[in-house]
Amino acid sequence: MADPALEPTMTAREAIVTALTQVTDVTTLAVIAASAVYGIFVGAIPGLTATMAVALLVPLTFFLSDVQAIAAIVTTVTCSIFAGDIPATLVRIPGTPASAAYASDAYSLTQRGRHLEPLSVSLVFSVIGGLFGTVVLAAAAPQLARLAGEFTSYENFWLYALGLTCAAIVSHDSRLKGALALLVGMLLATVGLGTDYSVPRLTFGSDHLITGINFIPAMIGLFGISEVLRNVLGLSDRDDAGDMRPAVADGAAKGREPGFSVRRLARERWLSILRSSSIGSVIGMLPGAGADIAAWIAYAVSKRLSPNPKGYGSGSLEGIGDATGANNAALGSAWIPALVFGIPGDSVTAIAIGVLLMKNITPGPKIFDTTDHPEQAVLAFAIYAVFIVANLLLIPIGWFAIHGGSLLIRVPRRILLPVIVLFCLIGSYAMNASYFDVWVMLVMGVLGFVLEAFRVPLGPVVLGIILGGELEHRFIQSITKDASAGAFLGSPISVVLASLILLLWVAPSISAMWRKLRERDA
Amino acid sequence: MVCLTGCNEPSSYPNRPITLICPWGAGGGTDAVSRQIAAHLETELGVPVGVVNATGGKGVTGHNRGFRARPDGYTLTMATLELNMLHWNGLTDLTYHDCIPLMSVNEDYAAVFVHSDAPWETIADLEAAIRANPKTLTASGTASGGAWHLALAGWLISAGLNADDVVWVSSTGAAPSLKELMSGGVDLVCCSLPEAATQMKNGDVRALGVMSPQPVPGFEDVPTFVDAGYDWTLGGWRGLAVPRGTPADVVKTLTNALDRVTSGETTILVGASQVDGEVVRRRQTFPQFMEEQGYDNTRRGPEEFQRLLAERDEQLGALLTSDVMRSVNRDRFNAATFPNALLAAIGAVLVLLVVQRGLRRSGSASESPIENASLRRRSVSRKGVIACTLFVLAIAVYPLAAETVGFVILSAALLGLMLWSLGNRIPTCAAVTLVVVPIAYQFFAGVLRVPLPRGWWGW
Repeated sequence: MADPALEPTMTAREAIVTALTQVTDVTTLAVIAASAVYGIFVGAIPGLTATMAVALLVPLTFFLSDVQAIAAIVTTVTCSIFAGDIPATLVRIPGTPASAAYASDAYSLTQRGRHLEPLSVSLVFSVIGGLFGTVVLAAAAPQLARLAGEFTSYENFWLYALGLTCAAIVSHDSRLKGALALLVGMLLATVGLGTDYSVPRLTFGSDHLITGINFIPAMIGLFGISEVLRNVLGLSDRDDAGDMRPAVADGAAKGREPGFSVRRLARERWLSILRSSSIGSVIGMLPGAGADIAAWIAYAVSKRLSPNPKGYGSGSLEGIGDATGANNAALGSAWIPALVFGIPGDSVTAIAIGVLLMKNITPGPKIFDTTDHPEQAVLAFAIYAVFIVANLLLIPIGWFAIHGGSLLIRVPRRILLPVIVLFCLIGSYAMNASYFDVWVMLVMGVLGFVLEAFRVPLGPVVLGIILGGELEHRFIQSITKDASAGAFLGSPISVVLASLILLLWVAPSISAMWRKLRERDA
Repeated sequence: MVCLTGCNEPSSYPNRPITLICPWGAGGGTDAVSRQIAAHLETELGVPVGVVNATGGKGVTGHNRGFRARPDGYTLTMATLELNMLHWNGLTDLTYHDCIPLMSVNEDYAAVFVHSDAPWETIADLEAAIRANPKTLTASGTASGGAWHLALAGWLISAGLNADDVVWVSSTGAAPSLKELMSGGVDLVCCSLPEAATQMKNGDVRALGVMSPQPVPGFEDVPTFVDAGYDWTLGGWRGLAVPRGTPADVVKTLTNALDRVTSGETTILVGASQVDGEVVRRRQTFPQFMEEQGYDNTRRGPEEFQRLLAERDEQLGALLTSDVMRSVNRDRFNAATFPNALLAAIGAVLVLLVVQRGLRRSGSASESPIENASLRRRSVSRKGVIACTLFVLAIAVYPLAAETVGFVILSAALLGLMLWSLGNRIPTCAAVTLVVVPIAYQFFAGVLRVPLPRGWWGW
């Protein structure tokens, strides 16, 4: 099947024109603008994910045309995934899980009074990544979806293992501590029923724990509460109002001009932008693997290939740029399996498919067929167009959000910290309206506080919680089918993924040994 | 946004927002039906009806939350077939006796799907293949022991085979299972017809049969298992219920409202399009929605729903407590495999860390400067420790007291206390509290419709 986007027939051209007229319609543009502001708001509030933002939109899409409904969803997601970087940078609480990979980097720059740099880098690279993802979606959807369609539980198992490996490797202190954090996270993920067996595990008889540990309150606790507690402990009575302001207020002048950093990065690293955006696009296409894994993997690759990997974890703009580009690139390509198979690439596209069905549109290969289903092809082109408009709109709206958000850290910490706790309380409760989640947040906050005291990184814990269940599920699926090594390495994709994992774990040790040997020889 | 304020008629039910608990995730079938019902109930009852996805624990969470809520009619639950299964599995002691059934809105029957290139044309072909080579074919559709697994196992038993003659590969739902089916990962998928409608329409999968008493409207060319000669039917019902103890007049109001909704007497706006410059609004009834989406549209009133609950409970109880089904769950790999492996790995890493530290100590006395710095930073004031403890306590008080006291009052008190403990002056504490709490309340409860705790003054 030829891709209509590459070989426009008359009907395809008409479809493109119709799509463009629909997207540039005044009402649609108003919907896009409103969704952008809404997305920024929700994304910037820790505890409210992009998925939740979209779920809350669904009742409103009843009142919109199909193109407007899709425009609202796409814009909301694009903006909220970027906006997740704002609290990650300013208070080290990722607004959405996709920002967790580089929260420590961005925050450590903030502590040095350079918060505008990571935020500007994140904005510009988000837009570049988002546009790249759109191009991939438009150009390669049918072909690439065929590859993703070949993934069985074995390939998925290796993919999740790769994502988790990356999370452990990127931690800056030691790989062992990273691995420890990862395992603790995965163990927390096994609490409750699990996906595969109707047997409660590690619940100690509690009814609440049967559900398992919800990662949203866990993430708020690990990153948010632990940070608040650390700060509160550090505030002593000697501190008067002036001292309590973070270094930011007076340090701001010393920070480099953010535009300069962005221009320098963009000039020197255009290849790595392409690389991380491609990583994001490929990962976004795989069902279940969304923007958050894309960010982790892009960050790990960026660190591995960087001339100065030491800086990663303590304020690397390169790492931030690569990861933030990848998570936005993943958003576009998540629509590929959704449109081609009707199988969502992430939870947001799952909701979007529901909305499409409500509007009487059945996703499937026919959506690219301009001769028999011109009205559906219009929608495909409209989705591309909306992604482009949303990403371009992100620039001005994101700029305002960055500068508005930066006012936050000028508030003295002794006022800010209690207010953050209040929002953590609401955020952990809001997802499921559950008090148990508030307890989870508190316990995780204390756990995070303790782990940090032993310099164990917190990022891998969160990723372990999020992906541990998925990894176990694919593992159990695979061993119930056929537990032999031959089955696990039965396809070229599996072999490639497995070798990558092996390489990531052993390469640093081998290169260290190699160096030692050479030193001894010399 | 229709009726957030200004529809307060105290003492008459309903006079405040209603929560509809959906035990399954956003984007799925139960979620779609719940949201649709909620929108219709909202127009019918005149108060906002918000859907909360209380997921997890294979439905344990949602059903427990819904049926253990205050029986005042402000918490409805979209119960599903799992209510008839969970207590047999020993996952909860909640049964259908803990709820008052209002109305069941649909029953989607299980169907068996194969890849479009599969060699089997009929259910009989499939049965012959399973009989010839037991334990070689794999099937998926839901988690082990889930509704669709039971449906398949029940059919195998009724055909005189063993429940585990087809290897069940656990999955998270119909969509990922269908993807596995299409990529050749499994041989069969058992799920409902609407869940696979897209893939059927695209010609990727074929339905061999459906476990309904009669052919399903919209899918008339799919033969039933009964017609193929098997005495086996199973459908996943969805229905609304309230906790036991809900006042009779509230139950009556809700049943009447649901009756009007499910009989198509209410409409909601589903779209607007411009035709020749004029805005044409499209309104839709609930049955129209169900039909359009390919969901079954059978509704049952309170008594009939109660009978259905009793019947399914008996049928699934017999299956779940039978020896054949138990043997399925006694596998080489079980629920403890993965956690045990993780615990072993954590132990190994801890040992390695200790060894590494020991090596470093003996290798050179000098510790890294960073570690020294972090040690020095540990010198903390007593005031800091007190404030830190107070913060932890404040967070712990919230889940304990919020439901009785109410969000605004409690969070204002806690926020004020935390501010004060950090040494802010009292006027500052008061000002920050008075600005932040009402704004937070308005934004979350008003705009985002988060059901914040209500408490003493409903505030």
